[in-house]
Amino acid sequence: MDQTTFIQQVNPFKDKVYRVAKRLLVSDDEAQDATQEILLKLWTHRSKFAQYRSVEAFAMTMTKNYCYDKLKAKSSSNLKIVHNNYEDHSWNTGRQVEVADEVAWVFKLMKDLPKQQQLIVQLRDIEQFNNSEIADMLEMNETAVRVALSRARKTLREALIKKQNYGIQ
Amino acid sequence: MESNKVERLLERYFEGETNLTEEKVLRTYFTSGEVAPHLQAYVGLFSAFAKAQEDTFESPIVIPSKRRNTTWLVSAVAIVLVTIGFFIQQQSSEQTVSGDFKDNPEMAVLKAKQSLLLVSRMINQSTSQLGAVKAFDNAPSPFFK
Repeated sequence: MDQTTFIQQVNPFKDKVYRVAKRLLVSDDEAQDATQEILLKLWTHRSKFAQYRSVEAFAMTMTKNYCYDKLKAKSSSNLKIVHNNYEDHSWNTGRQVEVADEVAWVFKLMKDLPKQQQLIVQLRDIEQFNNSEIADMLEMNETAVRVALSRARKTLREALIKKQNYGIQ
Repeated sequence: MESNKVERLLERYFEGETNLTEEKVLRTYFTSGEVAPHLQAYVGLFSAFAKAQEDTFESPIVIPSKRRNTTWLVSAVAIVLVTIGFFIQQQSSEQTVSGDFKDNPEMAVLKAKQSLLLVSRMINQSTSQLGAVKAFDNAPSPFFK
């Protein structure tokens, strides 16, 4: 496989890889690095593409594992401070000042979900994969995906309704 | 769309029972700008999802070019050339030695003696230079009395 065919093959889902990485890693730069790294890994595995049912799903699994590794490395080392910086960067002021932007508020709520639920909401509600594809990517079973998805959505709903009532009073 | 239909869809949505097409219907409804007042709370949620889809990876994809393969090739060729050169040189030097003295063993012995002599003379010369080192023994020692 040459470069052009490879790029043609990864082009449809490179944005998805980037968005998923960004959801988990928070920082823009880190998500870019992660995407680049994952594409590079795909390039070295390109000879095995035929073995996979879907290159896209394979890329997503790779992204998940890569980001989990990154997060684990961060939480176990002094880099945690750096990670907190990212959060502070966009949200420290947001905690004090009322977040006017509804959309930003939802992203903030998503960030507070457990990592796995974040990933599932991202893959389902944003990237539009169906549950069996997600189960495949995350190495889970379909029921577990559905349960986690419902739990995540309900958490978001609760927070939204709470906020609305708060606004009315 | 009637709001009770949306409500039913929403209920199933939060149970994780809707399919992707139904979710698309919800997304279209909530981003349309004509949302029933009691459902306003969900506008943010679905517009956030719609907005998140717009994020794209803009930087060019960097793939290692084939340069790496050519460096390997170049180094392999260089090694082969050096090895060949080495063998050729050795062969030619063997040829001169055997060519000169093949038929003349006496000459070979003489030549060998000559070069051995040369070497021993050089060694003697250099050991004689070592005499200067003795001067250090004669120097007064400031440390040991």
